Amino acid sequence: MKNAFKASIVARDEVAPDHVELILSSPELEDAQPGQFCHVLTPGMLRRPLSFSRLDRKRGRAGVLLQVVGSGTAWLYERRVGEQLDLLGPLGRGFEPPDPSRPWLLVGGGVGIPPLYAALQCWQAAWDQPLGVILGARAATAVIMTKDFQDRGVYPLVTTDDGSLGRFGTVMGPFLEWMDRYPESQVMACGPTGMLAALHGAAKARQGSMQLCLEQRMGCGIGACLACVVPAQPIGEEGPCYRRVCTEGPVFQAEELVF
Amino acid sequence: MDLSVNLPRGLRLKNPIIAASGTFGFGPEYAAYVDLNQLGGISVKGISPKPWRGNPPPRVWETPAGLLNSIGLQNPGLATFIEEDIPFLASVDTAVIANIIGHTVEEYRQVAERLSQEERIDAFEVNISCPNVKEGGISFGHDPRQAFLVTQAVRSVTEKPVMVKVSPNMAEPWVVAQAAVDAGADMISAINTLVGMAIDLKRRRPALGGVTGGLSGPAVKPVALRVVYEIASRVSVPVIGMGGIESAEDVLEFFLAGARAVMVGTVTFQYPERMLSIIEEIPKVWRRYGFQDLPEAVGAAHLDKEGEPG
Repeated sequence: MKNAFKASIVARDEVAPDHVELILSSPELEDAQPGQFCHVLTPGMLRRPLSFSRLDRKRGRAGVLLQVVGSGTAWLYERRVGEQLDLLGPLGRGFEPPDPSRPWLLVGGGVGIPPLYAALQCWQAAWDQPLGVILGARAATAVIMTKDFQDRGVYPLVTTDDGSLGRFGTVMGPFLEWMDRYPESQVMACGPTGMLAALHGAAKARQGSMQLCLEQRMGCGIGACLACVVPAQPIGEEGPCYRRVCTEGPVFQAEELVF
Repeated sequence: MDLSVNLPRGLRLKNPIIAASGTFGFGPEYAAYVDLNQLGGISVKGISPKPWRGNPPPRVWETPAGLLNSIGLQNPGLATFIEEDIPFLASVDTAVIANIIGHTVEEYRQVAERLSQEERIDAFEVNISCPNVKEGGISFGHDPRQAFLVTQAVRSVTEKPVMVKVSPNMAEPWVVAQAAVDAGADMISAINTLVGMAIDLKRRRPALGGVTGGLSGPAVKPVALRVVYEIASRVSVPVIGMGGIESAEDVLEFFLAGARAVMVGTVTFQYPERMLSIIEEIPKVWRRYGFQDLPEAVGAAHLDKEGEPG
C-alpha cells in the first residue's frame, strides 16, 4: 500500500567513522517533510526509525544518516548503492516552518544533526533574519554535516565534549549567548536526551519558541503499539501523560514535553 | 479452500487470522498498510473503563528472536474507544473482538456491559494475563478462583461470544482455562506474553522502564504450542492460538496442536502486510501437508487421535 514501499539506494557516503549517509530514491519520498522519519526494515529485527538528513522532493529522494550503535544499524551500514530498502513512511509530525519575521537557531547534537540540515535546506531560501547553527558532538570524529551547512553559506559553531574540535564543552554555552543576543529566536533542536533536557530547561525562562525532535525505542512506528512514548503534558495525579514519538512527534513544541 | 471459521455463539471469521491485541491498535492505525477487510478479525488493544497511563519508557527491548515489551496496557478508556474507534470499525468488514481489562472484577463487568450494546463488537477477549500490570491483569490470570469470577462477571452481562486469554507464566495454564470455561467462557485464547527481563549494560539498569516485561515473537512459539496443545486436550471449548506466528506453516502447527484460529502480532511490526500473505498461503500449505480443508488439521497432532500422523 502507498505508505509501505521499497526505495533504492542511489548514493552512499561514509561521513565519519561508523557514520554513513544513504540517499534513497522512491516517488513516495516526494511528500517527506523535515523532522519526519522512515521506518526501515532490518531483517529479523524491529524496523529502525531514521529521520531524513536531506530532501530532494522533486526527484523523490531523501537522505538518512545513521551511526552504527547495534545490530540494526550495523546491517544498514553494510548496504550498498543499487540495493533496496523496505520502508514505511514518511512518518510522524515534522517541524513547523519557521516564522520568517524572527531569528532562527538550529541546535544539533551528534546524530541529531541531520534533521536540522533538512530543515535548513527546506526553509533557508529568502531567509533574511539572523540564522544560527550550533552543532555539538562527543569528539571531532563525530561532528557531522558541517560542510553541508557551509556549502549553503551557513557556518556552524561547533562544540565538542572533549575539546578536540571547536569550542570545549556542550552546546549550552553558545546557545545561551545566542539567546541573549536574539531573545525572540525560534529554536529547532535534535540530539541526545540530556542536551534536549538542558535546552528545554533554559527555554522555560525565556521568550521565543522551541521545537524539539525526539528519538525513542520504537515498535510499529505508526501509532499502534504505544512503545515509543515520552513524558508529556498534561501532568496528572500519577505524573505526566505519555505521548507517542512516532505519531504525535517526533517533533514536539517544548511546552508539550516534560523532562 | 473454504477458509471461514465458525466459532461459538455464531462468531464467524472469514479466515482464521486475527490481529493480536496490543499489536494492532484499535483498528485505524494500520488501515494505510493492511486491507483490514481481508483479515479474519481484529482483537483491539485492551480497553478499561477509564484511561490507563501505562508504564514508563523504555517500553520495548529486542532479544534473540523475541521482543520484550512493557507497555502496561496504556489505553484511552472506554468512552474514547466508543466515540473515536467504533465509528471507524463500523466501516470495516471483519470480526471485531473487544479485548477488555480492569483493576477489579467490577471494571471488567462495566466494559463488557457497555460494549455488549455495541453492534460492531462481535466478541470479547477477557485479558487476565498481561504480565505488565500489578493490579488486575495477571493477578486474576494466575488464580483459577479469580479467573472464574472475572469470566462469570463478563458472562452475566453479555450474550456475545466470550474468550478468555490465558497466561503461560504458570505450570498448569489449563487449570485457569478450565475455570474460565466453568464460568461460561466460549473459547480460550492462548498465550499472552512470557514474563522476562533484559539488562541495559550501558546504563547498568533493567532495560525496560517497567523493569520486567512480556516476551513475544518466535522465541515463545514452542511455549505457546505446548500451552495450546495442553489446553486443547483438556478443555472442551475452541482454542485460539498465538505466540510467534510468522508463516502459514506456523499457523498449521498451531492447528495441529488444537487451535481453530490464530492471532498474529509481533511480526506485524516488521511486516505490516504479513497477515495477508499468510492467509493467501494457507490453502497451499494445508495441501502440502495433506489436509483438504481447514478443520481437518485441528488437533491432528494429538496422540490420542485415531490413525497415525502423516
